[in-house]
Amino acid sequence: MKRYDLIVIGAGPSGLSAAAEAASKGLRTVVFDENERPGGQLFKQIHKFFGSKEHKAKVRGYNIGKQLLQEAADAGVDVVLNAPVEGLYPDHEVTVRIGDSLRHFKGDAVIAATGASENMAAFKGWTLPGVIGAGAAQTMMNLHGIKPGNKVVMLGSGNVGLVVSYQLLQAGVEVAAVVDALPHVGGYGVHAAKLARTGVPFYLSHTIVEAEGEDRVKGVTIAEIDNKFNFIPGTEKHFDADTICVAVGLSPMSQLLKMAECDVPDDPSKGGQAPRVGAFGETSVKGVFAAGDVSGIEEASSAMIEGRITGLAAAESLGFITKQELEAETAGLENQLASLRRGMFAPGNKGRKITETDEGIALSESLLTQGYVADDEIARFPGVTKQRGIHPVIECTQNIPCNPCQDACRKGCIRIGKDITSLPAVDTDSQCVGCGLCVAACSGQAVFLVDEDYEEGYASVTLPYEFLPLPETGARGTALDRSGAPVCEAEVVEIRTSPAFDHTNLLTMKVPADMAMTARFFRNQKTESEAC
Amino acid sequence: MMNDRSRDIGPFVPAPDDDMIVCRCEEITKGEIRRAVHDGMYTVTEIRRWLRAGMGLCQGQTCSKLVKGIAARELGISPALLEPASSRAPMRPTEMKVLGREEGACA
Ligand SMILES: Cc1cc2nc3c(=O)[nH]c(=O)nc-3n(C[C@H](O)[C@H](O)[C@H](O)COP(=O)(O)OP(=O)(O)OC[C@H]3O[C@@H](n4cnc5c(N)ncnc54)[C@H](O)[C@@H]3O)c2cc1C
Ligand code: SF4
Ligand code: SF4
Repeated sequence: MKRYDLIVIGAGPSGLSAAAEAASKGLRTVVFDENERPGGQLFKQIHKFFGSKEHKAKVRGYNIGKQLLQEAADAGVDVVLNAPVEGLYPDHEVTVRIGDSLRHFKGDAVIAATGASENMAAFKGWTLPGVIGAGAAQTMMNLHGIKPGNKVVMLGSGNVGLVVSYQLLQAGVEVAAVVDALPHVGGYGVHAAKLARTGVPFYLSHTIVEAEGEDRVKGVTIAEIDNKFNFIPGTEKHFDADTICVAVGLSPMSQLLKMAECDVPDDPSKGGQAPRVGAFGETSVKGVFAAGDVSGIEEASSAMIEGRITGLAAAESLGFITKQELEAETAGLENQLASLRRGMFAPGNKGRKITETDEGIALSESLLTQGYVADDEIARFPGVTKQRGIHPVIECTQNIPCNPCQDACRKGCIRIGKDITSLPAVDTDSQCVGCGLCVAACSGQAVFLVDEDYEEGYASVTLPYEFLPLPETGARGTALDRSGAPVCEAEVVEIRTSPAFDHTNLLTMKVPADMAMTARFFRNQKTESEAC
Repeated sequence: MMNDRSRDIGPFVPAPDDDMIVCRCEEITKGEIRRAVHDGMYTVTEIRRWLRAGMGLCQGQTCSKLVKGIAARELGISPALLEPASSRAPMRPTEMKVLGREEGACA
């Protein structure tokens, strides 16, 4: 049996961060992961992440995974892949399947960073081929390059449902509807808005009645539900679809910790059975720690910080650093965690209906129920100003832990301030030069550049564009509004791509002047005919 | 409270979706799970042993939350109050030949 100072189970953002931190303090550290690739959830995430620079905001998920792996390798961590941990015992022994044998390892400390598993929803026909988890859809598209279907209905409007819906669109799959039993969109408004403006409809307070089809999904019927979750007769709606994607939440994968006799209560605010942990991730069993989604469903940003804290705590528990060093090194990390856990999506706000922002501005009701900010709501947010010449219009209207837009602008046009969850505000005293860095940096694709004085009678609108094929300069098409409804003709006057934009293209379209604050997406004439 | 078998949970009332499969590995329906509760299986562990729901290939990864929800609704309690099934090695489906080739168990 091989011994290590520290055994980490799971090579996701929390596990890799924990291992790198511990190894840098001198612990002989191994990480086991059952996947063939390291990075956990990250290696499937092709979108830019929220957060701040320290949390690798605006970096695409898979690149964060690569950076963490490099850091762990540099610190001397052994990362063992294709290695499912089959058992964890109270005396810190783990059994791992490696190849065709079961191997035993013992660690003086163990960190479980096993992440979460997807919840399923049962409805009539849910066992038909074509009903898949959102995670499976992501794996098919982003790892294997396979389209999961041609037309999907997404069940679930949390961030996972919204992000995966967008990725489906990027893969060329039609998203017929996003459906959620809750009365409000569960995920970030900016993620919903980037779907809505392409024309994806939202059905809140609705759920699936039936997946139709004999030997595979051919269609879906949804209906509205009352507050007791009963279908309201007469509200049924039918969609032709070959795929139903289920994104109804994640549950901590805490089975190993239960096996190790840790105290693992069922806590709905953490997504299910999550270990009881102290400030440093220590469980009720000495020397066994937990970090990341397994100790409560959150984000990669918090998972990375939790990982670092538990890595340091493991080092302290084995005498590699002193209690004082632990406290000094984790103080800053604790502050970062606290700042991430503010805002309307903070864990403590789960299930609470919030009606106004921290700044005291009424939230957009339309965003919460239809996925986009209505025309008569947008002007009240501080990112939306009226100015002469080119200027940013920031349609980011909820308090979320994110600020790359502020860092992107070297001219000082965008201000969030020290509280990362504050709404971005546009400073009208600073002169925008139209460089577009803010548009490309925004993880929520919520920043536009508007020039109402572009040409006599015409305005220009610059928007982030992450679809292929990229329209060409001079292409004519239709401008869509925030709800995805066609509103006017539009002509592409500029397409900008740059390594600094990291695959976000900037599309500038010319629209009639009165459409400057309405037109938010471009649909190419050609793609429309291609779709027919 | 949840283990109090003298508590009256009312009769089993058939429902139109009773034939819906919930545990797909072992092909256990919603009706069978609801019926098991009325037959006196008040914990997830009992339901597992009685019906084998959650004992198939995926080891309850897909259905355990669903089974818990159905049983809790039948008992009229919050799912969080239902004691979950216990966790055991191996975590993932593992062939006997692998389990038989254990290395370093008694170092
Ligand atoms: C679609 C989607 C979009 C997201 N977008 C964002 C975003 O924009 N910003 C953000 O901050 N977060 C985002 N997240 C959340 C983020 O991905 C997770 O919170 C984060 O990955 C959690 O990290 P973790 O290390 O705890 O777990 P994971 O990343 O899940 O990693 C756990 C690892 O443990 C391994 N493992 C589990 N059990 C075993 C075992 N028995 N043996 C061996 N290995 C095991 C798994 O294989 C996995 O590699 C998103 C998540 C999803 C699904
Ligand atoms: S376009 Fe450039 S100058 Fe203008 S707000 Fe954005 S980052 Fe600042
Ligand atoms: S506008 Fe700024 S704060 Fe809002 S999502 Fe974009 S980058 Fe983040």
